Amino acid sequence: MLEVLGSKVLHFNLHFIGVLQLFSQTIIGAVTPPFRIKDIIKQLNFVAVESAPIVVFCVSFAAVVTIIESSFHMKIVVQNDALVPGFAALLILRELGAVVSALLVTSRVGAGFAAEVGSMQITEQVDALKMLGIDPIRFIVVPRFVACVLGGFLLSIIANVVCILCAMLVSQLSLGYTYGSFIMGMKGFVKFQDLVFASIKGASFGAVIPIFSCYYGFKCKAGAEGVGLATTNSVVTTSVAIIVIDFILSYFFSYFY
Amino acid sequence: MFNTIGNAVFFIGDCTLFVGEVIRLGIKEKPSLHEIAEQTWRVSMQSLSTTALAGFFVGAIMTVQFTMQIQQFGALGYLGGLSTSGTIREIGPLLIAFMLSGKVGAFTSAELGTMKVTEQLDAIRCLGSSPIREIILPRYIAIILSSFFLLAIGLLMSIGGGLLLGMFFSGINHEEYLRHIPTIVAWPSILIGLFKCLVFSIILASICTYRGYTTTGGAKGVGLAVVNTAVATMIGIVIADWLTSYICEALQSYFLGV
Amino acid sequence: MIKFENLVKKFGDRTILKGISFEVEKGDILFILGTSGTGKSVLLKNIVGLLTPTSGNIWIDGEEVSQYTEEQYLPIRKKCGMVFQHPALFDSLSIFENVAFGLRRHYKLNEDEITKRVKECLSLVNLNDIESKLPQEISYGMQKRVSLARTVAVGPQVLLFDEPTTGLDPVTTNVVNHLILDLSRKLNTTSVVVSHDMHCALEIADKILVLDKGQIVEQGTPEEIRNSQVELVVGFMQEVENHV
Repeated sequence: MLEVLGSKVLHFNLHFIGVLQLFSQTIIGAVTPPFRIKDIIKQLNFVAVESAPIVVFCVSFAAVVTIIESSFHMKIVVQNDALVPGFAALLILRELGAVVSALLVTSRVGAGFAAEVGSMQITEQVDALKMLGIDPIRFIVVPRFVACVLGGFLLSIIANVVCILCAMLVSQLSLGYTYGSFIMGMKGFVKFQDLVFASIKGASFGAVIPIFSCYYGFKCKAGAEGVGLATTNSVVTTSVAIIVIDFILSYFFSYFY
Repeated sequence: MFNTIGNAVFFIGDCTLFVGEVIRLGIKEKPSLHEIAEQTWRVSMQSLSTTALAGFFVGAIMTVQFTMQIQQFGALGYLGGLSTSGTIREIGPLLIAFMLSGKVGAFTSAELGTMKVTEQLDAIRCLGSSPIREIILPRYIAIILSSFFLLAIGLLMSIGGGLLLGMFFSGINHEEYLRHIPTIVAWPSILIGLFKCLVFSIILASICTYRGYTTTGGAKGVGLAVVNTAVATMIGIVIADWLTSYICEALQSYFLGV
Repeated sequence: MIKFENLVKKFGDRTILKGISFEVEKGDILFILGTSGTGKSVLLKNIVGLLTPTSGNIWIDGEEVSQYTEEQYLPIRKKCGMVFQHPALFDSLSIFENVAFGLRRHYKLNEDEITKRVKECLSLVNLNDIESKLPQEISYGMQKRVSLARTVAVGPQVLLFDEPTTGLDPVTTNVVNHLILDLSRKLNTTSVVVSHDMHCALEIADKILVLDKGQIVEQGTPEEIRNSQVELVVGFMQEVENHV
């Protein structure tokens, strides 16, 4: 039992150190020239533009559920649903928008990166890069990292806006609020800093995704099994990391209200 | 655009046919209980720690958020009830199921995809048996069982996480926190949470076994299958979340008049 | 034993096999040669029903099987064993269970009989005392031989090999090729081997079929193939001569 625990801790430490190393190297690569603007834009297209429809689609469904559930709770606690717009908007801005879109991006983009980098690793393309004197981190990870940070930032704003619009629409249809009263209700609760914090969350989640998926991609073992494992590991680790980071950020931001 | 929609429709249709085939086989030939139990144990054990961790933090996040909102009204006493209820009915199942779509769904489709591209599934056919009966059926049932179990554990952990943060972050003692849980969390809420878990696990199991079984194209194909599974499961879960909420709302107002 | 008539297989709008007709006599070893991507493996998979032909007929032992369903195919697969390009061993099962897999499904045997049969088949491919190991724990060449034993265990009358020597070193290649010859003689089976190894085809085949772009460009005994004037075959022959 103790031995198992010990080896697990050791493994965790090894991974942790590896990820930190990759992270620091990526940061250094991201702030020093040469900047690969073209690569970054290409990746940004994959990360943000191509993910946007899925994110918008899912977030609008989440908005509907949020409204239904908030009205349920409001009715229990204060006997009417007058505060629904404010509460729902807060919940969306502070939590749902950023987290749901980040988890979706993790499964699409993060898993995609892990599979792509994993295939490059096992077909020895990564070694070929090294032989050509190109730093694989600078070449592979950095453009994806920058694109994901920007993409996470943009997507979280888009997700929040769409989510609130949908919430407005639903509360008009099912609870009978006009748009005006919804916005008035929101005004009492939501401050501008909420949007700022939401986009900070989005950007930080975006930063986590490429680091973990590229880390597992580089570690990929040969064969179909290896690629599958790398992809799965990256999705799971990133999702857990996103939830933990979300908790830390929420806790931290709560001191600024 | 139309292409995407067409693909989605094809995916749903083909997946439904596949699940129909699995269920038909499951009814016709009794699946081996031993195999199902073994798979269930394996899937549950390998995902237990991740799910528990995720559940804990989801509960914790909800408590932190609710604290900030409720404090303005001086209704901190309701914190325990509200945050628990919100977690059980909505956020908990959704986020934990997202987590499982990575852990269980992606893992299974990677495993099945590997078996497919290394021709292990064809080998089963050549040795005179059906891969759906030997491999897919026990996994399908096992995944439903264990995801349901894992989601329930995740929800329990989320209550624990909420309680802990309620004590340390909001400064409410545990009696106060727990006192209002029964007044707000009624049986219907728990049933709704569990119902959602069940629906999510069925979606999860269907998509990952289907996508793993239809993998083509070597190591790259396996990677693609995993990505597709994760994305499709999440979209399926979000839609199912909406549907179940809607249905439950209707049932609730019909039977209880809430 | 196996007869193809005007077999066509399409994937979408790509035609992989464009009308293949040939026949294999009982007890013969047939080699299907051709460059990569000419549909050799597809042809093989049509025989055991892993793929269904778009049009054309297939007879196995006098039975027309081309449009059989999965369930109708089960008895056919007992007659036709297939050895895959990859070993395709079930990685969660031990070597013993891998070899016993088909036995348990096709015959009602007790454990002693199964153990005896598994040992027998493993010794046919010159492997002993590895029953309890897992597939990952033995070398690639050994995995290939286990996969051969697994196929033989069911007692098929026809053995189909999908590139049995691809990815093996020359020594193991030789071992596997001679195993094919040995098994065919010992068990008196009909064999169909898909390969691009002209050298060993000339050595052990009774009949050779050369495929190019989904069509048969040449067929005959090794002697006839040696004297063939078809461009592709001449290319293959030069490769063999350079080797020697």
